[in-house]
Amino acid sequence: MATVELSGLTKTYGNYTALKGLNLSIADGEFIVLLGPSGCGKSTTMRLVAGLEEITSGEILIGGERVNERPARDRNLAMVFQNYALYPHMTVGENIGYPLKIAGIRKDERQKAVDAAAAKVEMGHLLSRRPSELSGGQRQRVALARAIVRTPRLFLMDEPLSNLDAKLRTVMRAELKHLQKELATTTIYVTHDQVEAMTLADRIVILNDAVIQQVGTPAEIYARPANTFVASFIGSPPMNLISGTLADGILTHAAGQLPMAGAGEVKLGVRPEDIYLCEGDDPVHFEGQVYSAELLGDCVLLNIKTDEGLLSARVPPTVQLTMGDTVKLRFDTNSLHLYDATTGNRRDS
Amino acid sequence: MKRSKTLRILSVVGLLIIGLIVLLPFFWMISVSLKPATEPFAIPARLWPESPTLANYASAFRPEFRTYFLNSMIVSGASVVITVSLALFAAYSFTRGQLFALSFMLGAVVLAQMFPHAAIIIPIYKMMRSWDLLNSYTSLILSYVSITLPVAIWMLRGFLVKLPVSLEEAAAVDGASPMRVFRDIVVPLARPGIISVAVYVLIITWQEFLFALSFTSTNDMRTLPVGLNDFIGQYGIRYGELMASSVMVSMPVVAVFFFLQRYFVAGLTAGAVKG
Repeated sequence: MATVELSGLTKTYGNYTALKGLNLSIADGEFIVLLGPSGCGKSTTMRLVAGLEEITSGEILIGGERVNERPARDRNLAMVFQNYALYPHMTVGENIGYPLKIAGIRKDERQKAVDAAAAKVEMGHLLSRRPSELSGGQRQRVALARAIVRTPRLFLMDEPLSNLDAKLRTVMRAELKHLQKELATTTIYVTHDQVEAMTLADRIVILNDAVIQQVGTPAEIYARPANTFVASFIGSPPMNLISGTLADGILTHAAGQLPMAGAGEVKLGVRPEDIYLCEGDDPVHFEGQVYSAELLGDCVLLNIKTDEGLLSARVPPTVQLTMGDTVKLRFDTNSLHLYDATTGNRRDS
Repeated sequence: MKRSKTLRILSVVGLLIIGLIVLLPFFWMISVSLKPATEPFAIPARLWPESPTLANYASAFRPEFRTYFLNSMIVSGASVVITVSLALFAAYSFTRGQLFALSFMLGAVVLAQMFPHAAIIIPIYKMMRSWDLLNSYTSLILSYVSITLPVAIWMLRGFLVKLPVSLEEAAAVDGASPMRVFRDIVVPLARPGIISVAVYVLIITWQEFLFALSFTSTNDMRTLPVGLNDFIGQYGIRYGELMASSVMVSMPVVAVFFFLQRYFVAGLTAGAVKG
């Protein structure tokens, strides 16, 4: 259990910069999720913390102690790899007990710890199996048990659920969250899946192009994306971004206009759930043709063809629309997001 | 459908013929070893002896043969152990090392293998003489290690590049030192490769003749392939005993190969594909 302090963390491979001056403070016991598309630097960050890559510049403090020069084996961390990295020539029990064996812990004590860890992930009955005889979910549990068998200062998890099928992923996600809260061990979790990030994280760190885009709680990030990258990355379907010009209290865009203060070229962000079909004398903010209507059970997802391109809107399941129908839409003016067209940064503070 | 059937029959027949050509000398070796001294040159020649006898084996299994056998075991055994150990470390460095110079060295290893034995035997002989190592196990073991090591390194490298790095990383995060990772993770997982390299070195060194003949001068240092030469005299060749000895010499390697061929074939292809 420890705090983690990353300051000015940079990693380059030749001419390629994988990580550019990353600063991040992680509190003791916090569940931090690094989220971003592939190649954004999230895995690099984790590998630097683990000690599997050399730092180009910057500093890593774990529990207040600088660990830059410490090899991975002396950092007292536990890591769960994307492909689980179970030792194929060892049984499940030997796999879980390996960190303790290296630490030189006596066999009977080791057995006790292995049994306890295996019981926590409900693998106690399979200790004598080999990894090749296990299903994906079971392998995942063994990898977790190997991480929790000792009391590391930090858990590092590199897309641990990405090789599981959708149903199992949901189950394991819940178990993981529960386990982390129970053990109260600081955790850094890497994923490209925003649902995992939203559900697991205390705080999400969104990375793109080797730079942090935004750090915040899932609710903060969803409610106030700091720039157009975050806005279009978080949310499913993602936020609609509409180019427009602000002048004289009116925002004019290719498919309509609406009143709004400010001036200059902007991008207006509207989440699909903040778009409504016009009724009666509702002001019309947008007009277009239905491109597709997908019934998802609790709602209908409309894709609307406009001069701005496709817009998505989430409307009640009772709405009956077919392809080609003309629809008039209005936005929830209290939930609009405004971004600078050139910098992509959020305009309102 | 019909064409493919004829094709299959043709290929089976072809394989049978090739198999026959390959196996005939071995069959003849066994056949002659069982024939009484008068029979090998009987006309018409018989494929199988009229009255098989083990007399050749009895006289071939003389005290010298036992000495040769022991010498071969020592020299081959030591060569296998040393080559496999060195090759493991070298191949691991070549696989995981990130120095640019390593790729040159890996090329140099191949180069070292290109010289015919006949070309390097004289310099090696002179080296052995200056170190006062002639007519010793050490001279043979040293030269056998040096001639088998290049291929051994490449074969093992073929295995090691296929091991996922994340296993070694996982062990490192679990607290293992580099040597410990090597011992606990790399070596056990490379076992098929280690076995195939061991078989390869055994086969090469067990049958090696040129170095063994050149570097040993007394009977108590000779190895089996050189010992077989004893039956080839100035005035005649004792074929019965020669063949009986040959059968006995072949047995250990054939047995090893029989049980471990699975690994050996895997090793050759692994090296080939990755090399």
